[in-house]
Amino acid sequence: MLLSFDRMGLLRWILVLITVLVMLFLILPVAFIVALSFGSSQWLAFPPPGWTLRWYHEFFADPRWMAAIWTSAKIGVLVMISSTLLALLTSFALVRGRFRGREALRAAFLTPMILPVVVVAVALYAFFLKIGLNGTLLGFVIAHTVLALPFAIIPISAALAGFDKSVEDAAILCGASPWEARLRITLPSIRHGLFAAMVFSFLVSWDEVVVAIFMASPTLQTMPVRIWGSLRQDLSPVIAAASSLLILLTLVMMLLAALLRKKADR
Amino acid sequence: MLLLAIFFVVPVVSLLLRSVTEPQLGLQNYETLIATTTYAKIFWNTFLVASVVTSVTILLGYPVAWLLSILPGRWAAIGFGIILLSMWTNLLARTYAWMVLLQSTGVINRALKALGIIDTPLQLINNLTGVTIGMVYIMLPFFILPLQATLRTIDPAVLQAASLCGAGRWQAFRRVLLPLSLPGILSGGLIVFVMSLGYFVTPALLGGTSNMMLAELIAQLVQSLLNWGLGGAAAFVLLVLTLALYALQVRLFGAPGREG
Repeated sequence: MLLSFDRMGLLRWILVLITVLVMLFLILPVAFIVALSFGSSQWLAFPPPGWTLRWYHEFFADPRWMAAIWTSAKIGVLVMISSTLLALLTSFALVRGRFRGREALRAAFLTPMILPVVVVAVALYAFFLKIGLNGTLLGFVIAHTVLALPFAIIPISAALAGFDKSVEDAAILCGASPWEARLRITLPSIRHGLFAAMVFSFLVSWDEVVVAIFMASPTLQTMPVRIWGSLRQDLSPVIAAASSLLILLTLVMMLLAALLRKKADR
Repeated sequence: MLLLAIFFVVPVVSLLLRSVTEPQLGLQNYETLIATTTYAKIFWNTFLVASVVTSVTILLGYPVAWLLSILPGRWAAIGFGIILLSMWTNLLARTYAWMVLLQSTGVINRALKALGIIDTPLQLINNLTGVTIGMVYIMLPFFILPLQATLRTIDPAVLQAASLCGAGRWQAFRRVLLPLSLPGILSGGLIVFVMSLGYFVTPALLGGTSNMMLAELIAQLVQSLLNWGLGGAAAFVLLVLTLALYALQVRLFGAPGREG
């Protein structure tokens, strides 16, 4: 009865009430930002006195915002490539390899995900200051790859563990070289894992704030660093416009993921 | 593999080494951390916020996870959509929303005033109240999603059996449902607690300068004060706390992410 929605009686409505309130709590700030970004009030009055696209114009007209988007996209794509490739190699070792300490190694690869980002950020900052990578594109890509790796390793090794190796062996028996078999049989079979790894890696880098704050220089700023900087100055509605664009991107990604899942189910 | 060693292990270890070597060899940085009242207050703040955030998240998240695990598909899908959208929305965008909502001339204060509940605006931002609201907002999905998965594995027949044996609603909840879902609550709560301890962005933006938390202290010691020794020591404390709690989690519930 407590696990059957139809037979819970009054308790059901208490649960529904709390859930609706929590859902509103979760969705309202997101909706609120989007509404504000179209509002004409400089001081973020709500409900807005009128509607305007002014903040979006300002956003797209500002070369600093455009540079930040470009930097974020560049770093994101590079991280996506490097992290997926490294995760692929690592996953082969972790799933197929038979060696001592495999579990320990696996745990080691996932630690960047557990550690507080601020510790990683400060440590990398100190290290990069010494070797002169701070404020460089390469430094950004390396730092974000470290953070993104676990998120790429998890889906790829899951896909690889679910792939029957005998299919690959069959291809080799039929005359394919081991590499040919891996490239033409195994890789296409784990493409969903690879795709998930690419999306996660990109998103980790694209949304990453803490490490980016330390890595950034005045001339090299990602989108989150730029938002962070503006937030510390004032609460300009341009930030609302920038945030709304990020929310739009999230929605697109979610729809894409849902579509792909439907396709995969079929 | 080498990459991870060079760009992850080496930096972290060398940071920790600096905590015992700068300005001179010894544990004086740790003594400073413990003995200075300002730092003691920061540790206290961090624990307080993490505990409150965890408790509130559990109280709000449990009913939601419960309902989501038994709702018919379509409604549950809407719920999951909302949770995922909120979870995947850029962290800064969400924090910005709360900065605007909570400020003294913000929507919440105006609404409360218009309703005649308050006369003077409540101070909701630049203090621990603001941090707590913002953090609960961020942590809820991390608690609800795993917990509802746990709840789904509970066989409804067990509860039917309880009621057949004469248990009332309250008794069935307290003696059957709650104990069965306890691993999910503890494991989710631990995740939330650990994440809250080391959180940087939300406390920094919603907390104001007088209510610093541990992560912010580390950043400030290193970036503005260039005190690498003390910063490293604070980072080490945070690191040890996190790893200890994580080890506890693994021991009690197994490694997260292994089933998925």
